Amino acid sequence: MCFSLHCSHHHPVACIVPPYMLRVMALRGDPRTAEMARALLKQTEKLRDERAELNRGGLPPAHPISGAFATAAVSPAEGLCCPDRRIHDGQHKAALPGKLIRSEGDGPTGIPDADTAYDAAGQVFSLFAKEYGRNSLDGEGMPLVATVHHRRDYNNAFWNGTQMAYGTGDGKVFRTFLELSVIGHEMAHGVIQHSGGLIYENQSGALNESIADVFGSLALQRALGQEVHQADWLVGRGILGPGINGAALRSMKAPGTAYSDDLLGQDPQPWHMDHFVATSDDNGGVHINSGIPNHAFYLFCAYLGGRAWELPGRIWYRALQTLNNPMASFSDWADQTMDAAIELAGRGSIETVMLRRAWKLVGIAI
Amino acid sequence: MIIEIAAQGGFGGIAAANLHKTIDVQDQPEQMRQDLCEAFEPDQLARLARQPCGDCADRLTYRITVTDDRRTRSFTLREAQIPPDMLDLIDQM
Ligand SMILES: [Zn+2]
Repeated sequence: MCFSLHCSHHHPVACIVPPYMLRVMALRGDPRTAEMARALLKQTEKLRDERAELNRGGLPPAHPISGAFATAAVSPAEGLCCPDRRIHDGQHKAALPGKLIRSEGDGPTGIPDADTAYDAAGQVFSLFAKEYGRNSLDGEGMPLVATVHHRRDYNNAFWNGTQMAYGTGDGKVFRTFLELSVIGHEMAHGVIQHSGGLIYENQSGALNESIADVFGSLALQRALGQEVHQADWLVGRGILGPGINGAALRSMKAPGTAYSDDLLGQDPQPWHMDHFVATSDDNGGVHINSGIPNHAFYLFCAYLGGRAWELPGRIWYRALQTLNNPMASFSDWADQTMDAAIELAGRGSIETVMLRRAWKLVGIAI
Repeated sequence: MIIEIAAQGGFGGIAAANLHKTIDVQDQPEQMRQDLCEAFEPDQLARLARQPCGDCADRLTYRITVTDDRRTRSFTLREAQIPPDMLDLIDQM
């Protein structure tokens, strides 16, 4: 892509010559051509930095998300059977990805974190591939790269734009991050990034978090073969430290009740817009206010019964593919899920009535 | 030189899970002292804070405060802006 700002009259070639060709010209051209190529390369570099700066907060490089893209991502693609997993050992250092210890098809390593990361990545791949027709996180079969043993006593797991990383926890607040709903959550951040993105702050950031929780929970429910009323709807069950009074990190069924502990305090998640938390911490409360859309999804699933990863999951997935608004508010997202429900279940269907009811119960009218 | 580091954010969104460390560089062994002085040199921190941050899903934010004889300076750095070697140093502190 070339912006007019960078299409200077002196160098019209900047608009059409790709960087790799400029590199060849810089090497092999006559002195004048080489000098021009070097100048243009510098400009391209600068443009890339500026774009990177614009693309803050989980927003991927700008590319148009069209209806065609959404359709391609929703309909089953060919050659979509197999993940390409690459699990690395960070050896308690911060450098990524670390030492490759298990590639696709390799047997277990005997390192519990690495084997859980491998198996869970397969479950999450399978959810997106078999249920939603998506080939890996980018829809194009990208390798699933993960690092376990990231840093020392590290109380976190994340998606960095290209891979997943999991700490071991400090053994006090967290005992592990290798749990299917957590792994599904991190991988879903990759799917969100490659589906047009949601800026990682305030309401759009809380949506990013909520959608990650939704698919993390669905990956777990599907792996366990649980229907809506059998599932616990917890995110990160069992990952808190042994001395912590709490079942999990978040509860989609009852936000605000996952833990209550002297050290951690009370789970701060609201389930209704009346209790929306305005804060500048945590990128504007992205891990707090996600409780509201999380609970709307739970309510919708509970009204319908059955397997949550089927129609409800398909509706959420379709809404994500068609959203095309990185700054979406909760209300924008609710509207988008309604559009998806109408497409998949029909206008006036009982499913759309239940969806409207679910959003209304958390204080969002559609 | 006194270095104070407070982290926030992360997958859990739990404040208590995040590290909060204060160290006096003078009390450290020689090698550590040198590494810390280099890594936490205020102009170096300011340069890091200006780098593009990239993707930040579930990542930590560090508030780093450096106090020397003359003054106190504070910087807010995203985890993604901090080089791996410096993160290792923070983990060792
Ligand atoms: Zn997240």
